[in-house]
Amino acid sequence: MKVDNSLPLEYSTEENNLKILGFWIFIGAEIMLFATLFTAYFTLENRTGNGPTGAEIFEITPVLIETILLLTSSFTIGLAIHAMRLNRKKAMMGFFTITLILGTAFLGVEIYEFTHYVHVGAGLQTSAFTAALLTTLGTHGLHVTLGLFWGLFILLQIKKRGLTPETANKSFIFSLYWHFLDIIWIFIFSFIYLKGMM
Amino acid sequence: MKELFPLKQVMGFAFSLVLTVVALMVYFTDMSYTMGMTVLLITAFIQAGLQVVVFMHAGETKDKRSIYVNIYYALLIALITIFGTLLVLVWDM
Amino acid sequence: MDFFDRFAVPHPSFLIYAAMVGIGLTMLAVVVGITYFKKWGYLWREWITTVDHKRIGIMYLLTALLMLFRGGVDAIMMRYQLAMPENTFLDSQHYNEVFTTHGVVMILFMAMPFIIFFFNFLVPLQIGARDVAFPRLNALSFWLFFMGMGLFNLSFIIGGSPDAGWTSYFPLAGNEFSTSVGTNYYMIAIQIAGIGTLMTGINFITTILKMRAPGMTLMKMPMFTWSAFIANVIIVFAFPVLTVLLAMGTMDRLFGTNFFTTDNGGMDMLWANLFWVWGHPEVYILILPAFGLYSEIIPTFARRNLYGYKSMVASMVVISILSFVVWAHHFFTMGQGPLTNSIFSITTMAIAIPTGVKIFNWLFTLWKGKIQFTTPMLYSILFIPLFTLGGVTGVMLAMSAADYQYHNTMFLVAHFHNVIIPGVVYAMLAGMTFYWPKIFGFMLNEKLGKWTAWLLTVGFVLAFIPMYITGLDGQARRMYTYSESTGFSLLNMVSFIGAAIMAIAFALLVYNIYYSIRYSPRNIGSDPWDARSLEWSTHTPVPEYNFAITPQVASTQAFWDSKKNGHELFKGDIEKIHMPNNSGLPFIMSCMFFVFGFAMVFSIWPVVIVSLIGILACLVYRSFEQDHGRYISVEEIKETETRLRGAKNEGR
Ligand code: HEM
Ligand SMILES: [Cu+2]
Repeated sequence: MKVDNSLPLEYSTEENNLKILGFWIFIGAEIMLFATLFTAYFTLENRTGNGPTGAEIFEITPVLIETILLLTSSFTIGLAIHAMRLNRKKAMMGFFTITLILGTAFLGVEIYEFTHYVHVGAGLQTSAFTAALLTTLGTHGLHVTLGLFWGLFILLQIKKRGLTPETANKSFIFSLYWHFLDIIWIFIFSFIYLKGMM
Repeated sequence: MKELFPLKQVMGFAFSLVLTVVALMVYFTDMSYTMGMTVLLITAFIQAGLQVVVFMHAGETKDKRSIYVNIYYALLIALITIFGTLLVLVWDM
Repeated sequence: MDFFDRFAVPHPSFLIYAAMVGIGLTMLAVVVGITYFKKWGYLWREWITTVDHKRIGIMYLLTALLMLFRGGVDAIMMRYQLAMPENTFLDSQHYNEVFTTHGVVMILFMAMPFIIFFFNFLVPLQIGARDVAFPRLNALSFWLFFMGMGLFNLSFIIGGSPDAGWTSYFPLAGNEFSTSVGTNYYMIAIQIAGIGTLMTGINFITTILKMRAPGMTLMKMPMFTWSAFIANVIIVFAFPVLTVLLAMGTMDRLFGTNFFTTDNGGMDMLWANLFWVWGHPEVYILILPAFGLYSEIIPTFARRNLYGYKSMVASMVVISILSFVVWAHHFFTMGQGPLTNSIFSITTMAIAIPTGVKIFNWLFTLWKGKIQFTTPMLYSILFIPLFTLGGVTGVMLAMSAADYQYHNTMFLVAHFHNVIIPGVVYAMLAGMTFYWPKIFGFMLNEKLGKWTAWLLTVGFVLAFIPMYITGLDGQARRMYTYSESTGFSLLNMVSFIGAAIMAIAFALLVYNIYYSIRYSPRNIGSDPWDARSLEWSTHTPVPEYNFAITPQVASTQAFWDSKKNGHELFKGDIEKIHMPNNSGLPFIMSCMFFVFGFAMVFSIWPVVIVSLIGILACLVYRSFEQDHGRYISVEEIKETETRLRGAKNEGR
């Protein structure tokens, strides 16, 4: 394997470069995936049948907590990558761990939120609106869940194998994924919650 | 310690918090629908751009062009899909 | 026994039982055969675990040909049913199932793997690469696709086929009107195959962007690679729509959500809308690589450079965007206002412009060329006028007001077969004939090949042109019979005859393959057509590393230049080559997807959970696995090179 030492580790081999570009294209596909969910949501937003409307069930507090948690975790994973580039393995792992903890907390609040919805009579089967809402949120939540496990595995690998071109590459790609989930959340926050409560 | 917190990223984070607060205005103040949507659109897209440029390092390699074209393309198709569908199924139905 | 009742086919007939027995016996024969000849190890090592793009390509090809047969049988049954008024060969339920599976199989499990076969086999060779960017992912793509295909075909004998059309519109496809598990199969099998296709898209975009030979700028890529690039871009942005759409459909059917139902706010029209947001780009995913193949074949046999390279590229880029803005032309009659319909009418007509540009470019390439009428060229020349006819009727359909007359009649059926058969199918057959020697080391028989092309064309014209007429007269599509008094009998009989002739043509193709395997000479060298681009510059059969030395490129037809103008393709010495290792993981993981899909179809939740855990376990294994590939040593390469050069007999 040819290693180019003038570049950050995550870019140091040809294979790594391929993976990073490939992941960007995957993100392009993910944009369309969420765009389709948003399409369905906006179309069905007001079709609440006998169920409640968004304004009736949304609560600002949990949503705000979720937003802050995810924004901060996006910041810390950025710091982790920065530390990685300084070759500060300990610091990098620290920031990485914080990110995962914040992500777990986010997920906890989201689970609370879901039980709340079911509680107030907005279950998956209630109406077209609730189906679209819970599917959109759920898809994002599922991405976060998968991300948490993935991140954990990467962390374990860094611990065992150190910062190698491989682990650095995986970490960088993970950071792309995590930032992307944050971006999606920003749109969910703005155009599902805030728009719904406006 | 200080070198672990690069100014660019800290500023980026602070700015994204500010944008969140601005977006929250549509909830806490009394705004017309049009006004509110305008604010949300602006804040959301700036935040997204911020993440892509500051945190995701989209422009740092020679694949810069591919990456940006990819994102713009995705964005274009996404907006066409969303607004086209709304046109067909809601606004003009 | 209650548990097993669900697996019974709800609406059986003699044909289905016969098929069950037939499929069972064939499977048995295959298993016994492989065991008898002790080929399991060979299959596992050389094919199932392979990550070589050429072998994966060949597996796509075999799947496509198999599905061409399955879809073709469906087609003949439909045409026979309609050949006579009030025929009772198929009842309405069976007719519904047959046209549904025909559509799905032909588009998703025949045409798609056929074009992906060409992506796989050709793109790395055309750009001078060793393999695709992510060989392991490529294997996963194939196996997911394959398992989706298998699952879909299983519906025929276990639980019942889908019967709501290949478009599967709600509310017809909802639980209320589609009570069997057939539509579950539709949702889940296509989902699994679609995920594989999406990954193919990501893989090939990365490959084309990053792995081109030195000197090959984007504007020096062979035209097929360009078309593959654009088609993959469309795949990456269109298939996620399908993913979400099918997930929502699955939830409606299995979890009682209300996306597309008719109460609690559900909106059935959303299905139609999103289906075509994916569906129209999908038809362009199929036609663009076909255009690419014609653009390789026509210059080769007109002995001229492709006319208008830049405008060819530009028109494809324009098409890639336009294909996303026309989808509503599939449901002009759904009830949206005239403003919307006008917008989509105009965008639809606009697509004809870049398409027309391409037609003229091919014509100008032919102009003053020294044309050689080989089989691939014959297909290409037949393609131009026939496809143009399909395009013209497309523009007729594009007029939203007029479409109220044409919509859902046989006129529409004639249109899309008119673009898909001379457009896509001819290209696939032409491309297959053209590249056959590169893949297998011998040519298909030219005489038989030309007979096939002509028979296919006669059959096509007889089968589909009459539908334009009956369609305008009001014969609706997807109706299982009609009465004598409609006067459709004669033309439908003609259609049946045409379909039968097409069947004969395909049989002749099979015979041709058999004949050529037995009798074709093997000493044809590596460039039997005197062709132009890089794939012909390496040996036949292509060694696993493709090129011993990475080629240097300076024009759109580097190989031609190296033959005629003294361009030096292979500079420097042989170095050791890095190759990926084989892996069984993609196959194993795809098997789990198959089990998962099957359990979902029948709502057997414990199995769903277990197979999901299995899938996740594969992912975890992959994450921790360390696999750095292997090197082929210089000696080994030199040995292979001498051997292959020796085998050629008439070296250049
Ligand atoms: C000049 C270019 C084309 C135009 C203007 C055009 C226009 C149309 C229109 C307006 C319809 C809908 C008619 C209706 O439902 O009433 C249609 C259907 C269709 N077209 Fe085309 N088309 C073009 C090229 C193609 C190509 C290249 C393909 C495929 C390779 C294709 C495949 C189809 C299919 C599969 C359907 C109908 C599917 C269904 O309803 O089951 N078309 N086309
Ligand atoms: Cu279309």
